Amino acid sequence: MGKALEVIGLSKRFLGLQALKEVSLHLEEGEILAVIGPNGAGKSTLLNLLSGLIKPDQGRILLLGRDISHLPPETRTHLGLGRAFQIVQPFPELSVRENLLVGALFGKPGLKRKEAEAWVAEVLDLTGLAPRAEALAGELTLLEDKRLELARALATRPKVLLLDEVMAGLRPKEAEEAVALVRRIRDSGVSVLFIEHLMPVVRALADRVVVLDHGEVIAEGTYEKVAQEERVREAYLGRRA
Amino acid sequence: MRELSHLPFLSFFLLLFALLPFLPLGIWGAFLLDVGFFIQLFTAMALSWDLVARTGQLSLAHGAFFGLGAYGAGLLAPHVGTLPALVFGAFVAGAGALLLGSVTLRLHGLYFAIASLAFSEVLRTLALKLAFTGGPIGLPVPPPFGGVWPLAAYYLSFGVLLLATALSLWAEWSPFRLAQAATRQSEAVARVLGVRVVRVKLWSLLLGSLVAGLSGGVYGMKTLFLSPYDAFSLGRAVEALVIPIFGGLYSTLGPLVGGVVLVGLEQALRLWIKEGYLVVYGAILILVILFLPRGLVGLLGRRRG
Repeated sequence: MGKALEVIGLSKRFLGLQALKEVSLHLEEGEILAVIGPNGAGKSTLLNLLSGLIKPDQGRILLLGRDISHLPPETRTHLGLGRAFQIVQPFPELSVRENLLVGALFGKPGLKRKEAEAWVAEVLDLTGLAPRAEALAGELTLLEDKRLELARALATRPKVLLLDEVMAGLRPKEAEEAVALVRRIRDSGVSVLFIEHLMPVVRALADRVVVLDHGEVIAEGTYEKVAQEERVREAYLGRRA
Repeated sequence: MRELSHLPFLSFFLLLFALLPFLPLGIWGAFLLDVGFFIQLFTAMALSWDLVARTGQLSLAHGAFFGLGAYGAGLLAPHVGTLPALVFGAFVAGAGALLLGSVTLRLHGLYFAIASLAFSEVLRTLALKLAFTGGPIGLPVPPPFGGVWPLAAYYLSFGVLLLATALSLWAEWSPFRLAQAATRQSEAVARVLGVRVVRVKLWSLLLGSLVAGLSGGVYGMKTLFLSPYDAFSLGRAVEALVIPIFGGLYSTLGPLVGGVVLVGLEQALRLWIKEGYLVVYGAILILVILFLPRGLVGLLGRRRG
């Protein structure tokens, strides 16, 4: 299998803070990869670099073998990179359906309106948002907001999907549903890289885990393997005196 | 994509304007035609401002686009005739918009507003100082089509209003509306969803400036005289933004209703009250903005995006 996403020596500095330091990692095609780490480890910086909202100081990002390091966010989306935000940012004055249409119509240039509308209807069904399709996005509950965030990213027809703590704030039952949903998305041929704080979710969902601390990769492997590593425990629990 | 229920309402307004010169208005005829002329022109300005506002760009440059169009058309009209001069004026305004747009790509909301204000001030100063504009003395403009047809200016302004309405409806009913709304509500999210934000903003500004430029051109042909303070007036940019806020933002119906009511009201108050009519005008404006945050069309109970 090829690599869906490859990150080579990615570094980013904000004023005095080294947010990421020569981070290298990859996402296999059809894989679900979790990126975990304590607060401030650089997870969100990594995602912002991947989707192109900020520019790296050093390093390269390959999407399906193509160097996207210097492409603007919209072009990355056109090439098949989707992203759901941690802080849900629906367009509040648009309906749920219209929110998805934005992704469907502009996520892949050249798509006909009819095709985009049909695809949106599919995504609405898949994410369980169909009954709320005509509601204004500003009127949704938190759970629905989370679903919309995921659905909108999906509407762009990504080959690689970046999920930024989409389960945060969900009840265990809801998180279970969301885990099942992400699996269905992967089974439809999408590779998934997700950031998550909830360890049960990471354990249930991730094929592989990458651990970041202070902007560096400190461990990588299956959940069971990284959970036992001393450095990971230290990063999460603090160093023993 | 959007409900078509506005259409009869819109058509009614446009038909009224088309037929106004033929209605039996008696001694009021000439006055009402003048009022109608300004309503059409400033409503077109309001629509063109709204078209830009839908991307989150608060333009204070519409007075400048108006002035560029007015001077462009006014300078060329004696040599090439009315319609080519108007088109040229619109292109001059469009060139100004591309210049402004390309240096303010990253700016949003208030920051764009300040940049567009500066742009406006620079152009007025240029119009004052450059030789070929006539400077502070002003520029005489010939009436449209050699002045042979008294209704020419009126129908030119009607044409500009039609064009502005058509553009606004297209933007409202096509996928362009979603691109504009997404850009306005969050540029970063819009980009991550694949919206070419820069293009959407530039196109909106360009289309808006073309309409504003045409309005300016027609204005000069009606007043027959341009001065930098009049043509590049900041007041005109403010009127272009007050009308959509008064009528209802981000729609075609809002600026249209707002323009008819507000410009009509201004003319009527000027006639009835004479001294201090602006006090009453301002009070009505404040009341509407306070109690109808979604503008007059908010009364229709329709949501928009």
